[in-house]
Amino acid sequence: MNIFAKTIAAACVSASILALAAAAPAQAETVLRLDEVAVGELDPAKASDYADSILMFNVYDTLVLPAQGAPGLVPHLAKSWSADGNNHIFNLRDDVKFQSGNPMSADDVVFSLQRMQELGSGLSYLFANVESVEAVDEHTVMFVLKEPYAPFVSSMLRLPIVDKKLVMENLGAGDGEMGDWGQAYLSGNAAGTGAYKVSSHNPQQETVMAKNADYFLDIQDAAPDTVRLRYGLEPATVRTLIAQGEHDISSQWLPPEVLKALSKDGAQLLTESGGGGFYVKMNTTKAPLDDMECRLALSNAFDYGSAIKMIAVTDDVSQGSPATGAIPVGMLGANPSTDDLARDMDAAKRHLEACRYNPDDFNIEISWIAEVPLEERFALLMQANFNELGIKSEIKKMPWALFAEQVSKPENTPHISQLFVNAVTGDPDTLLYGMYDSKNAGTWQSPEYLNDADVDDLLEEGRVNTDVAAREKAYKALNARLMAIAPTIYGYDRQSVFAASDRVKVPALSDPSKAFGLDGMGFSFRLMEMQDKS
Amino acid sequence: MHLPHFLRVTRIIMSPVVQLLVKRLSISIIVLIGVSMLIFTIARIIPGDPARIALGPNATAEQVANLRDKLHLDEPIYIQYAKFVSDFAHGDLGISLYTNRPVTTDIAQFLPATLELVFVAGIFMIGFGIPLGILSARYRGRVADNIIRVVSLLGVSAPSFVWAVILMLLFAFFLPLFPIAGQISDTLPVPPRITGFLLIDSLLAGDFKVFASAAHHIVLPAFALALSGIGQAARLTRANMVETYDKPYIEMAQSYGFPEKRIANRYAFRPSLIPSLTIIGLDFAAMLGNAFLVEAVYAWPGLSRYGVQVILRKDLNAIVGTVLVISATFLVVNIIVDLLIAFINPRIRYAGRS
Amino acid sequence: MRRVMWILLSNPLSVIGLLLVGTVIFSAVFADFIAPFPSHRGAVVDFSNFNQPPHWPNIFGTDLVGRDLFSRILFAYRISLMLGVVVLAIAVPIGVTVGLAAGYLGGWVEFALMRLTDVFLSIPPLVLAMSVMGLLEPTLTNGMLAVTTMWWPWYARLVYNITRSESQEGYVLAAEIIGASRLHIMFREILPNCVPSIVTKMTLDLGFVILIASSLSFLGLGVQAPTPDLGSMVAEGGNYLPDSWWLTVFPSLAILIAVFGFNLLGDALRQILGGDT
Repeated sequence: MNIFAKTIAAACVSASILALAAAAPAQAETVLRLDEVAVGELDPAKASDYADSILMFNVYDTLVLPAQGAPGLVPHLAKSWSADGNNHIFNLRDDVKFQSGNPMSADDVVFSLQRMQELGSGLSYLFANVESVEAVDEHTVMFVLKEPYAPFVSSMLRLPIVDKKLVMENLGAGDGEMGDWGQAYLSGNAAGTGAYKVSSHNPQQETVMAKNADYFLDIQDAAPDTVRLRYGLEPATVRTLIAQGEHDISSQWLPPEVLKALSKDGAQLLTESGGGGFYVKMNTTKAPLDDMECRLALSNAFDYGSAIKMIAVTDDVSQGSPATGAIPVGMLGANPSTDDLARDMDAAKRHLEACRYNPDDFNIEISWIAEVPLEERFALLMQANFNELGIKSEIKKMPWALFAEQVSKPENTPHISQLFVNAVTGDPDTLLYGMYDSKNAGTWQSPEYLNDADVDDLLEEGRVNTDVAAREKAYKALNARLMAIAPTIYGYDRQSVFAASDRVKVPALSDPSKAFGLDGMGFSFRLMEMQDKS
Repeated sequence: MHLPHFLRVTRIIMSPVVQLLVKRLSISIIVLIGVSMLIFTIARIIPGDPARIALGPNATAEQVANLRDKLHLDEPIYIQYAKFVSDFAHGDLGISLYTNRPVTTDIAQFLPATLELVFVAGIFMIGFGIPLGILSARYRGRVADNIIRVVSLLGVSAPSFVWAVILMLLFAFFLPLFPIAGQISDTLPVPPRITGFLLIDSLLAGDFKVFASAAHHIVLPAFALALSGIGQAARLTRANMVETYDKPYIEMAQSYGFPEKRIANRYAFRPSLIPSLTIIGLDFAAMLGNAFLVEAVYAWPGLSRYGVQVILRKDLNAIVGTVLVISATFLVVNIIVDLLIAFINPRIRYAGRS
Repeated sequence: MRRVMWILLSNPLSVIGLLLVGTVIFSAVFADFIAPFPSHRGAVVDFSNFNQPPHWPNIFGTDLVGRDLFSRILFAYRISLMLGVVVLAIAVPIGVTVGLAAGYLGGWVEFALMRLTDVFLSIPPLVLAMSVMGLLEPTLTNGMLAVTTMWWPWYARLVYNITRSESQEGYVLAAEIIGASRLHIMFREILPNCVPSIVTKMTLDLGFVILIASSLSFLGLGVQAPTPDLGSMVAEGGNYLPDSWWLTVFPSLAILIAVFGFNLLGDALRQILGGDT
């Protein structure tokens, strides 16, 4: 073994010296290497999770972008927009070309929206309210809504514009004249205007992207020439690769201990707060949690302080901050950051006494998502916390796919589910409507099956009223109501933490005045700066 | 013997080895049919709706119904099986609901890396296990023998993931001699895919840098995978050789003063090889399964992650396809081992002549 | 029996095996008394002392929620052994019956039963158990079921081979001539001659069941938290290498020690009883 190993090792050392000698003068290209969990979905109409969002925001563009370091939206593919009742009109830039060379026009926007609605996956529910969309002229497009929807423009952040001509040339087999709507093609190929082109894509392993020289905006020179996004690396692997200088930015899914170790080794920590939180959701249709008092007992027994301790990375960086209610601090309607939730065992005991059930009769099922190991620790924390109240519980591990299936029926939905939910467009409506409106019960984000008339009314008010002050008032009231009836334990306000090598600077993830406040947008590669040309 | 030409040909065709091959192949086909029925049944009687799971949280009831229809999930199981068999005859294992690609494409992509790992582990197993066994038998009863015996028993005594973790800690973290993960260094270009085996493809492309990197990367995982096989092979070789050593012809050779080394290699080892080979065939199968564990530790881009993911997601087509392909590989290897034994064993090789 | 004990004790390796097996069984049975923190087998969290390297009184360190790793390993032995015993208690009778029937009755029974055995044997064991376990829910009962489905065929093979050679022996022919029933011949005449081999194999297998069960839970198909389980401990700790090495190293060694002990003992028994596996 030894001799063999040494020979191989020696061969490799000499080989890599050769490689260095050969490579140094020739390549002046910068490569950025990062990782995410599998699968990387390239079809923008199916994009839903973080990996998909990274791909989408770099390969495709949207009509608007979030403002950096401030609330609000700024123009992107659209120069300007206006609303007239339920009609929303966008004026498009006329100098944008797709990566294929086709010019971008209003037709492409119409096509992208129809495709999104037709496929009905990913975040298409954001556009269920769109009655029709039409190209007024080559560079003007009009959306007509069924019902008033105040934050409509922000949902444009989730409508990537697809190259209609290219897709139509590559339609696959399917029912109807649109065939498969280009699903087969777009799952492996790009058809966007984005700052990065796809060089190769394997949803299980890696997507390689290269800078798009013809992008309609200027891309700084320091932005990486090539980006390699790898999927499904083990934390221990990422930890070592970064320490050895062979990896640049980790995913946000590293456990806090690993981030801690990396930062001790000198890695920088990047953060992104995407307006979301850690929600411990209680099934309000299942005894004993159908009694509000029992739910309040559990939420008062939850050890918020230990939770914060568990996710701390260093003294000043953490994967979250104390929650103050249902709405994360900083979002419309949120409570101030001084109103930390805290454990209160006396209150918990009072509520438990008021509960019409006897705790001995129940065994609470605490589920955790198999893909998120941190949740197992929260499950144990809760089990210990609830034990102190005299409530028995059992822990159940569920793969994500199975969880999503089980929550479709209230009787299969576990008593307690743990979820990370965020506002996909940054507006509280996209955080709360999906979770708490009674019409949306039984999706992955609403395993509470909450059915509360007050909550429904307030959600509606926030959606319909276009006046910001009135919306804020509605969301404040909603926040209070959600605290009073406790369908959820509001664990903490979440912040994504990434470990990165010093080869890359990411202002959008390190400088609060450059932050987008939208999950995944911080990974706009064109705004990153590589530190060395190796 | 001066047989007419055509008779000699028939004799070769119906030689015992060929007979054996025909027999083994036909049994294998029966077995494979059994495997497919077994795994097909297991996969369809499970709780949970595969269509619902595949479509994800936002799918409508109509979409679910459509997919169930497409997968024939609402039909009786024997009809589903018949459809599966007729598709299979056309080389179609269906679409994976997890990757949205044909299962055959997925398997073709991931299987070579697994096989490469298992083959290299097999080479380690033979290359280390049999010599250790010979040494042990030659010095039986002495210190060297006892050490080898304990070490090989230790090798057998831990699941390969334990070895994978221990080797990784020792030789990748504390003594960074080997890379901790992956199949090839990140900075190197992957050679054009010809066989799918990185070690071979890099040689075919004449890219020795890639070959060296691939060889460097495969050492630890292959060794972790091979360790229990090495122990097994060493123990078996030793046991058989010790038995052979007690045979009169060895004692005779010893009393004639034949060199010990020659006795060990020629007279004691050869007859002991046959049982060792049988076990190696079985171990190869075990390694195909254990590769799942080692691949998980070393982030090896083989069938493992795919296999575990499709099982967790109840991706029926992919599960059936993966299990079938692994079982078929296993059967093929065992047939090859049987044929090897037939060639080595004079009793079978010559049985037809006389 | 006394002879067996004497031979066992005269070989240092088998003495070590006996000691290891004894220790494992002892710590599993008396875990409640030996473990410094017996409550840590369950849902206990202590965030003032989590993810700590070995120190007094946590001699193996603490896990990610602050539980004593040493105590948890002792309780994990209990689960592993229980699983091993239950699996063998189901798999051995099934395998033995199939093997006896196929070996003695011959003909179509033999063909059908042995091909069925071949089917099970030609799916790599771990893959078969994974499929069963993954498709059902990952609970302890299903874990036992999964491991059992892959275990019985080995006994069927073993007993089949012995039965085939035994059924040619004089005593079986004699029994047939007197007109003994087939059941009688199979279970009263042939079976006793298989017992030494079966006992030896069972000893070895107790180790291997532990090994396979830990492999399954390593892949995330094991028992649920907070039940301590060696395979899941290794898998979970693997994410925190190399910084929190104790999370993987101690459970790994625990598996190694247990299986090694059963193997040493099984080996010794094989030499004494002459069972051929």
